[in-house]
Amino acid sequence: MDPSNLPLEWAYYLSIFGFLCLFVVIWLIPKKAVFEDAPDQSRWRDLRLWAAVLIAFQLVIYAVFN
Amino acid sequence: MHPLDLIIIVGYLALITFVGLRLAGRVKSARDFFLAGRSLSWWVIGLSIIGTNIGANSYVGAAGNAFSIGIAQANFEWIGAIPAMILAALVFIPLYWKAGVYSIPEYLGLRYNSTVRVVAALITSIVSVFAIGVALWAIALTLQTYLGWPIWVGIMVTGTIVGAYSIAGGLAAVAFTDMLQVSIMFVGGLVIVGLGISQTGGFSGFAETLISENPNHLQAYLPADHPSYPWPGVIFGLGLVLSPAYWWAGQAILQRSLGAKSQWDASAGMMFAAFGKIFVPLLIVFPGLLALVMHAQIEYPDMALPWIIKNVLPPGISGLMFIAIIAALQSTIDSSVNSTSLMLTRDVRHVLIKNANPDNDLKVGRILTLVLLLLAMCTAPLVAEMGGIFTFLQTILSLFQGPMLALLILGAFTRRATPQAGLWTLISGVIFASAASYAGMNMLYVAFSSFIYAVIALWLLSGLTAPQPDKDLSTLTYSPWRRS
Repeated sequence: MDPSNLPLEWAYYLSIFGFLCLFVVIWLIPKKAVFEDAPDQSRWRDLRLWAAVLIAFQLVIYAVFN
Repeated sequence: MHPLDLIIIVGYLALITFVGLRLAGRVKSARDFFLAGRSLSWWVIGLSIIGTNIGANSYVGAAGNAFSIGIAQANFEWIGAIPAMILAALVFIPLYWKAGVYSIPEYLGLRYNSTVRVVAALITSIVSVFAIGVALWAIALTLQTYLGWPIWVGIMVTGTIVGAYSIAGGLAAVAFTDMLQVSIMFVGGLVIVGLGISQTGGFSGFAETLISENPNHLQAYLPADHPSYPWPGVIFGLGLVLSPAYWWAGQAILQRSLGAKSQWDASAGMMFAAFGKIFVPLLIVFPGLLALVMHAQIEYPDMALPWIIKNVLPPGISGLMFIAIIAALQSTIDSSVNSTSLMLTRDVRHVLIKNANPDNDLKVGRILTLVLLLLAMCTAPLVAEMGGIFTFLQTILSLFQGPMLALLILGAFTRRATPQAGLWTLISGVIFASAASYAGMNMLYVAFSSFIYAVIALWLLSGLTAPQPDKDLSTLTYSPWRRS
């Protein structure tokens, strides 16, 4: 298959699929591993939440610029 | 030059030198020098990572590319960085932290063997010396353009300032000066955004002109038959191979994470940097789009940023953008010098010289930092004539990325990968990538295909060679679900 013939829309579908997969993967990481060495267990220190916000930003960016 | 410009420039150089040298008193051991005594907080690490990442090509090259291809240039900051940074923060940094290593080659040495460690350290170090030379040359050119200084004076002044704080203060000085430099870069970038938008009739005027005259410049992806950045190459080559290789194995980037005061700070620092990366296109891509909207008459795209500085920024403010460019280059130089010195001191010297005394690491590290800077200063004036050699070295490094990533991923996630298979996969993977590159394949596809080859080769060869004992692998593989 010649990759130069692939339709442009696929790029956006693949990106969204990839970001959603990443979202699932980060929530499979145990909470204990994420809080390792953290000074306290505050909600804001849960790095999976930081990652979720970053993924949301990415989804918005690739939805806007298509 | 406006007097205010000069005050800003002299003030910046004095501040950076002062902050860098103030941290010199903290350095008592090699751990202090190379890992800042494991004292860095997450926000210092995050800003320092961005400073190290925005390098010689970012400002001028990215603005020029944005002028030509539009917002698609931002893929290098978004899909070409952020997913890999998230996984670096949540998976690879905790892995390196638990392994207790100073460097990524050291991790590869423990996971595979010392030959892999030395090869990884040497290739990165050699390319790094030339990269530092290029950055010094770029600063000298900028100083010549704005201040009229001869090239050799620019190289000497920059080398002396960076050398003073890097040799005296080590990673802590590098990280704190990076932090200041990134703040300056963002202030300079935001001033350009504000003034540029106001000169083009506000945000709606800017967006309307861009959309009506260059609608394709607002597409994040370019068609699959684009000669330089086809979308399959961007997603599979950049997003799945080159970016992870950079963010999971780049010593200059990850060294400040390994210098964190806790594992959480190390991971949070990378995640914080990822938030910064969302906005980096404002600094380095927006000027190119602005030049387009303002119908800049330029001979070639790389002149987009200089055109903006000359035509958008009022006198007295252009000095701010000037130091933003200098800051971007300096933060790359200091990080590269420190990380290369670490790899040569520990990953090469400790392996090749059997009776090397670890107590001498601090002294050796400082001497090597000086030697590396002097080498780069000697190389810098030759950069214009040796562009071919530098491109060759960069190509070698890119050929290395796919196989290296395969070693890292299978090494980190499985116990199957064996030392012998790792070495032979690395060698044959680079040969495979060289052949694909020689055949004229786009570099993004070379990276992806060599990665796929290396994954298959490492998997198969590992089935035929002797594995490491399971007990040696417990801290070298990622397994947060295992009960302790």
